[in-house]
Amino acid sequence: MRSRDGNSSYLLAIFSIVFFYSLSLQASEYLISYRYVVKDAILYNESLQISSAMKKCSGSPQESLLLSIDDNQNLQEIIKLNAQEFIDFLHKIGLNVEHKEKTINYINHSTTILTLKTTCFKVDINENFARIFPLN
Amino acid sequence: MKYSMLLVFLLSGSTLFAEQANIGNVADAPKCCEKAPIKEMVLEKNNTILVSVIGQGVAPMNTTSPAQAYALAKRAAIADSYRLIAEKVKGVRVDDQDVIKNMMVKRSTVRTSVDAMIKNANIVETNFKEGLCEVEMEILLTYSQFSQ
Repeated sequence: MRSRDGNSSYLLAIFSIVFFYSLSLQASEYLISYRYVVKDAILYNESLQISSAMKKCSGSPQESLLLSIDDNQNLQEIIKLNAQEFIDFLHKIGLNVEHKEKTINYINHSTTILTLKTTCFKVDINENFARIFPLN
Repeated sequence: MKYSMLLVFLLSGSTLFAEQANIGNVADAPKCCEKAPIKEMVLEKNNTILVSVIGQGVAPMNTTSPAQAYALAKRAAIADSYRLIAEKVKGVRVDDQDVIKNMMVKRSTVRTSVDAMIKNANIVETNFKEGLCEVEMEILLTYSQFSQ
């Protein structure tokens, strides 16, 4: 017959397994946002933010992007190596266009901002490739 | 005197005839230069519209390599293409303000803005020449996209 202390450590072990297993499941979901600013036809600023999701995302997976990888890498490294391909994929998903133009005494200034609002992506990383799905 | 009077009469008569003939020609001429009213494109059911634009972007002055200049100029050109598509499909909001003092324009301000969401636009062609990048972009509009 188990003592009280024995039972509590046993339960703690089970809970920790469940907890870390749930964390590992959620680790495959990431929040990504992208924004770039063009001022007077010159690229002014570009930012891509990637963060692992702290809670499970809802939504169904959309069209995916398949990237080949060498070793087990994290998403940041994979995207860094395939930046152009990934940004083209973000353009395909859809970007918000915000354009403002001001002409004072026939002198023109313009600002265009393209934004991908924070979107949840499901990422399956295998040995040779990574599959990235936006959830919508 | 008689001859001069006759000459004047003949000259005036000939010019009058010529004018009449010209008027007749104008009236009879085919309507070559009349502009037909521009038919506005309407997206009908089971129909598609292809919108094509050419966006321009310039490389910044402080680039470290021609490749970087190309990449940055292309990004700017893509943003311009998106803006042009948004302008064509959704329209432009225009605000104008002119300050006139003593019958003279002191300050003229025109503000335009576009706000849209664009997806599935495709780059058809990219040209980079003398620091200017041109991106030709297309988007296919279908009725089902708007009927939702």
